[in-house]
Amino acid sequence: MTAVSVPGAGPACPTPTVERERVLLGHGSGGKLSAALLRDHILPWFTSPALRELGDAAVVPVSGAEVAVSTDAFVVNPLEFPGGDIGVLAIHGTLNDLAMVGADPRYITVGLVIEEGLPLETLDRIIASMARSAERAGVAIVAGDTKVVERGKADGLFVTTTGIGTFDGKFRAAPTRARDGDVVLVSGPVGAHGMTIMSVREGLGFETELTSDTAALHPLVRQLRQAVADEIHVMRDPTRGGVASALNEIAAASRVGIELEEQSIPVDAPVFAACEVLGLDPLYVANEGIFLAIVPAPAAEAALAALRAHPLGVRACKIGRVTHANEGTVWVRTAIGGTRVVDMLPGDQLPRIC
Amino acid sequence: MKYLSEYRDARIAKALARRIQAAASRRWVLMEVCGGQTHTIVRQGIDELLGDAVEMIHGPGCPVCVTPLEQIDRAVALASRPDVTFTSFGDMLRVPGSDCDLQQVRARGGTVRVVYSPLDAVELAQRNPDRQVVFFAVGFETTAPANAMAVWRAHQLGVRNFSMLVSHVTVPPAMIALLEAPDNRVQGFLAAGHVCTVMGWDEYEPIAERYHVPIVVTGFEPVDILEGVLLAVTQLEAGEARVENQYVRSVRREGNIAARDLIGRVFRLVDRKWRGIGEIPSSGLAIREEYADFDAELRFGLQDIHANESPDCRAGDVLRGQLKPIDCPMFGNVCTPMHPLGAPMVSSEGACAAYFTAGRLRSPVAGGVQ
Amino acid sequence: MCLGIPGQIIEIHDDHGVAMGTVDFGGVRRSVCLAYVAHDIAPGDYAIVHVGFAISKVSEEDARRTYALLEEMSQLDELEWLAEIARTTAAEAPPVAPMTERERVS
Repeated sequence: MTAVSVPGAGPACPTPTVERERVLLGHGSGGKLSAALLRDHILPWFTSPALRELGDAAVVPVSGAEVAVSTDAFVVNPLEFPGGDIGVLAIHGTLNDLAMVGADPRYITVGLVIEEGLPLETLDRIIASMARSAERAGVAIVAGDTKVVERGKADGLFVTTTGIGTFDGKFRAAPTRARDGDVVLVSGPVGAHGMTIMSVREGLGFETELTSDTAALHPLVRQLRQAVADEIHVMRDPTRGGVASALNEIAAASRVGIELEEQSIPVDAPVFAACEVLGLDPLYVANEGIFLAIVPAPAAEAALAALRAHPLGVRACKIGRVTHANEGTVWVRTAIGGTRVVDMLPGDQLPRIC
Repeated sequence: MKYLSEYRDARIAKALARRIQAAASRRWVLMEVCGGQTHTIVRQGIDELLGDAVEMIHGPGCPVCVTPLEQIDRAVALASRPDVTFTSFGDMLRVPGSDCDLQQVRARGGTVRVVYSPLDAVELAQRNPDRQVVFFAVGFETTAPANAMAVWRAHQLGVRNFSMLVSHVTVPPAMIALLEAPDNRVQGFLAAGHVCTVMGWDEYEPIAERYHVPIVVTGFEPVDILEGVLLAVTQLEAGEARVENQYVRSVRREGNIAARDLIGRVFRLVDRKWRGIGEIPSSGLAIREEYADFDAELRFGLQDIHANESPDCRAGDVLRGQLKPIDCPMFGNVCTPMHPLGAPMVSSEGACAAYFTAGRLRSPVAGGVQ
Repeated sequence: MCLGIPGQIIEIHDDHGVAMGTVDFGGVRRSVCLAYVAHDIAPGDYAIVHVGFAISKVSEEDARRTYALLEEMSQLDELEWLAEIARTTAAEAPPVAPMTERERVS
């Protein structure tokens, strides 16, 4: 496998054999189709340098201070799932995007697109859990909007949010800052959220004791920052597309290679089992309560100790390293000593029969 | 997980790899027939462990890859009908037809759903009596008992709105076609453990004898595959050619008799086109006349849909092991996983997709295998 | 071609004349058709499951026997291999060789 070379594999020729004139579900997968949608249809129209960095949140100057701004849209079926619901997910997801650039979350705004016929009881439960998670995190929900659409025009409820965060000190993490020799840390086991949703989604019929890992990560990030401060080069919460897609984005943005040790990647037993049954790779499964941190090797032990001292980071571990070789590529050293490239997927990961 | 995790043991895998290297006096060419085995080989980097002892050719055993273009076109036609809920295994959704794939049909308003089991499709039909529910029955002998049961069950329960678009294929005729090819390079086979779990290995014995090739019935975990390779290499070094069973925990000589019985009652052998390879006599299964009511091709009159494959795609040569994907002029420029010309670039088991991903690691990685 | 995963039979029941059951895959459970293994399977046994169908009962005895052989082989092999490394190191490297020399040899 190592001897394989690719003749003429320059940029992929965009000549499609198949017309691609409509948006596919895969355009929302966080993989290559999503990247292409952004690159070809959205980013050409917007020129703000803050947007171009494509971080989890933008950092912009406001009246002399720097402010982090993040916006997000949440669609999930079912609306309520083991371990959370769309409301909690929306708050945590927004807080986490702010935390990933090193900001302290301060304010959130919420937009609700509600489908005609949604039981008010369900709405009440979701809004209450939204309020609880914001309160626990110490952020205020300061503005919002509601719209109702006809039955069949939305999947029960869509939620959009904007989050505002502020900075203390100069600390910045960015996807462009990974360097040769850095180590890759993950704050907890991978794949729990995505496999939970898949197991309860109608049609696949699996019973599991899986629960989503949804959590507000900013207290954990704060603890990490206090321990190693400026030493954190990159932080990223690997949501849709999973750890594999997040690391591919970092490898491309930082122009480095990333090598993972398969055996050191923490995967809980039921997540592992569900992935085996459906033929899925946990590295591509969505997470909502862990993050990746890339730090220089000398800071790794202190960073791990800080993460493990917090309840959300007890199972943090080192999963890989950054190299100058194989720029833009992520690969895994497998348990039996082979290697495999962990490319971004074109679209959603689909259950396999073979 | 019991019976799974222990067969990924690195110590045993490495010990087997060392034995293979020690046993091989020359470089042998083996083919793993099954796409599931290709998946393990690529995913675990097993070919790196084999070094110069063995070249593995990835065989045509991926049902996604060999389903003929016109069958995809028929699936697309069905899924586009407003009265049809089209159900399929997940990995068929991205296979390109002449005009589009099933995901695009969904984007244009068709109802396409992924199911885990064909019985789920029957159940869906029961719950939606006003919809025509069609299941895309692809696969090798392993999947045939499941699809046969879905037809039998729908018949037994009187689920009239269920039918199947069948594109079943069988392994031994394909192996013979490969061995008959004048430029065949394959010297030994790892036969597909789950196909043999259903069918047993009787039908492989005449093949091993006639073409003088070792055939080792092999499982799917790294330790299984390496042990299968070791058994095949040992036979080759000794000049032997017999059928051997590595996958003893699942495969019996006679296979699964109850499953074979129902396959025989629901399906009959037919000539079938393989994508990229062409028609192979008696290599496919179709629904018997007694169950013709459940044949979607008859119910919806699809027999007139025909299609020719892209002349640029050399999937056939790749599936026969005669062209390495990287030597195909379309590879990596016109044909990529984002814009696949042919099926081997679509499925993660497909030889082309496997090479595309693996080939991107151009610098050797330090600290390789012993 | 055929993703088949071993799981443990939890219960067996009859559904309109077809044997069905619940199978546990390392903590994930699903309803599985047991019609093709019904004649010799009981709760607690393991089966290989493909697209919701048990296609064989895992033979515990065969699995145990063959795995023991593999383990034995790997232990033997490891000992031989270590012995060989020890031999080559002793033969090729002078006992007082500087580190850099030794590294080059291995």
